[in-house]
Amino acid sequence: MRRLAVLIALCPLALAAGAAAQRTQQVVLPGPVPYPTDSPPLVGGGVLANVYLTPGLHVDSAERVSVGVDGTGKPSAIAVEQTLTVHGKGDYQLSVSGPIAHVRRGPGSQSEPGFRTDQVLWAGFSPGTKRLSARVELRVPPAAPYLPLRLHLTREDGGVTLRITNATATPVQSYEGVVRPREIAKLLDQTRRSSLAGKRVKAAFATFLGEVRVPERPVRIEAPLRVDGELRLPGGEPVRFSRVLGDGQPLSFEVHAQGSGKPELDLEARTAPVVRLLRPPGARTWEAAIRRRPIPPAKLLSLLIGARFRLVRSDQFQTFLADPDADGRSSAVYDYTVGAAAPRQVAVPDRSGGGSDTLLIVLVVLGSVVVAGGGLVAWAHS
Amino acid sequence: MRRALLLLACVAVLAAGCGKSSRSSGGDVVIAVDVPVTGSPYVAQNIRHGVALAANNLNSGGGIIVGTHSYHLKVKLYDNHLSARQAVEDTRRALDAGAVAMVTDGTGIDATWQLANREHVPICITYDGGSGLVDIAKRPNVFRIAPTNHGIAFRYAEYLIPKGFKVGLLHDDSAYGQEGAADVNRAFSENPRSVAVRLTLPFGATDLSPQILRAKRAGATALLVWAQPPTIAAVLTAARSIGWNVPVYTSPTGSDPFIRQQLADHPSWVDGLTFAGGRLTAEIGTGPFQAFESQYESTYGTDKVGVKTAGGQPVIQPPELAMYAYDFTHVLVAALTRAGSLDASKVLSALNEVTTQGANGDERGFNRNNHEGVVDDDVYFARFHDMTYAPVKDDPLSSTLPVIPQTP
Repeated sequence: MRRLAVLIALCPLALAAGAAAQRTQQVVLPGPVPYPTDSPPLVGGGVLANVYLTPGLHVDSAERVSVGVDGTGKPSAIAVEQTLTVHGKGDYQLSVSGPIAHVRRGPGSQSEPGFRTDQVLWAGFSPGTKRLSARVELRVPPAAPYLPLRLHLTREDGGVTLRITNATATPVQSYEGVVRPREIAKLLDQTRRSSLAGKRVKAAFATFLGEVRVPERPVRIEAPLRVDGELRLPGGEPVRFSRVLGDGQPLSFEVHAQGSGKPELDLEARTAPVVRLLRPPGARTWEAAIRRRPIPPAKLLSLLIGARFRLVRSDQFQTFLADPDADGRSSAVYDYTVGAAAPRQVAVPDRSGGGSDTLLIVLVVLGSVVVAGGGLVAWAHS
Repeated sequence: MRRALLLLACVAVLAAGCGKSSRSSGGDVVIAVDVPVTGSPYVAQNIRHGVALAANNLNSGGGIIVGTHSYHLKVKLYDNHLSARQAVEDTRRALDAGAVAMVTDGTGIDATWQLANREHVPICITYDGGSGLVDIAKRPNVFRIAPTNHGIAFRYAEYLIPKGFKVGLLHDDSAYGQEGAADVNRAFSENPRSVAVRLTLPFGATDLSPQILRAKRAGATALLVWAQPPTIAAVLTAARSIGWNVPVYTSPTGSDPFIRQQLADHPSWVDGLTFAGGRLTAEIGTGPFQAFESQYESTYGTDKVGVKTAGGQPVIQPPELAMYAYDFTHVLVAALTRAGSLDASKVLSALNEVTTQGANGDERGFNRNNHEGVVDDDVYFARFHDMTYAPVKDDPLSSTLPVIPQTP
């Protein structure tokens, strides 16, 4: 009996020693790059002109994408008002690619945009800061598939029904393994802070004990979108709506407006932070939550990877047209109206914080490749 | 016998196979240069040399390849005598000679562009910065590689107004002076308080004392002179001879050797003269421009100004105008290559889609929205001291630019 008791007492120790002997590896978590799909940002057909930025110069991009839809909700016109703000003193030569039909100077621009096949060109000297604004009209068939929302308008007796669907959902390859709950909780808190602050997710690693497994079925993630707007018909009351599509909530919803005649729609969509999925249960932080009540590490990891993928996808939709500076801060707002696409004024982002580091992004990408390659080798030998 | 014939046939086939593949020669591609050889020889010579230098370089490398043929560039020179009527005649002759493009100082462009446009032949201005000469909607075949009056005028406004000057805006009554004055007036129109007086000076007058005195009495604390070189020299003479050391700013003509030649006996009168121009160097440094300059000088010799520094060194003029003509020739060749044909409309269209590296290291090219090869941002200011000039230090762009050596 004593022997048995000793044996039972030793078992956990033996298991712990075994776990300690297990190989640990640092695995790169999703973000800030690469994006899950090639576009957005849009890509044009021509050969992209040389890009030159004096070292130390940074370019921020603010876009307002105006989408005109027809009577069924299908895009019929797409225009982007893109404002690039060059920060720093020196020469710049930039090009922005896309399926571009026409380009003209935007409001407040301090320079004239050039236009070549599928390219907007900017060249000049920034004395400290420079605003470059262009109104870019896009060819609808190649640009429409990359819009973040699908609209569907249907006529019904006495009114019209609008179905709005988040079209950013895409499959991504996730991974699983044995992780340390405290570390993952800490990373969840960091990611949550970035999300709430509207900052680009920063590169991060997690420690895996033993092998990293790739689930057979990819995970579907989306860029959460906040959609605000109003639908009205002549003779009827306007119907206002405000929803978040994604972040654990449905990816589509319907609104119905009473009346007759041509529907009028005023809809604004922008990426929303991941809030619901990153809310710690019963505590202010994830670290506090797991101290209060254990949460399975696999669940924590799944939440972390899913949230980071969503933030990366959100970041991707901040540049419908590319920011020529990969390190620049970008923002995009999408307006949908029935009829022609008429852009509103673009709000230029403040450069007081956020952003990321090009070198860091490059290192993370390289790191991802190395880790993925290492993982593949380890998996092949396991 | 049959064996010998078979052997010969094999040798012939092998010889054909080993032969160096070469494109068939298509002959000459003519570039017409229409410049005021007898009206403004310095400008004419620089433009002509720029085109010829580029053509010689390309020809010495075996010519240019357009589609399946190789061609040699041939430069045909016409003298427009600074006369629009002569420019029209020159354009007709150039088109008859099959020119694929014309390079001009800008003389008579208001009349010549239509003739060339009928044949879809591009014209490139490499000197005159007048507004309206290049209009992408109305004149789709007109291009320019030279600083624009509009760009220079607005750069002057943003440079001078913050200094708190009361500026005397002076121009002569030449076409050049009047065109520039229109842009200067527009640029200063939003700040009328910074303008002390506006005066028109008679072109060719050697004594401008009454006008300069008037500017002084109007309270001018700086003069911005848009005029031909003799007028600028006369303004300096009038101001300095009465002891008025007012800062003088000028159009790009301020760098013309004529002014220094005229004032060679009073080099201190030239000191401080500031002119605007297109930057000669890119951010990457002086290397590319000096390489071009050295090539230019080894072919044509140095452009001597005809004055010396206080140390006795002869002063030479950097080949700025030649650089613009040289660059256009390269852009044209890039367009010919892209078009893959000598079809004029295809070449004209291709000119909107190509970029080459200019002689100063900057990218040079046009696009569908803009036929200006020198962007307004590239206008810099340089100030004379001891008969040579250097970029000013109190302008963000100019302060980043290195000094181009102007003595041997």
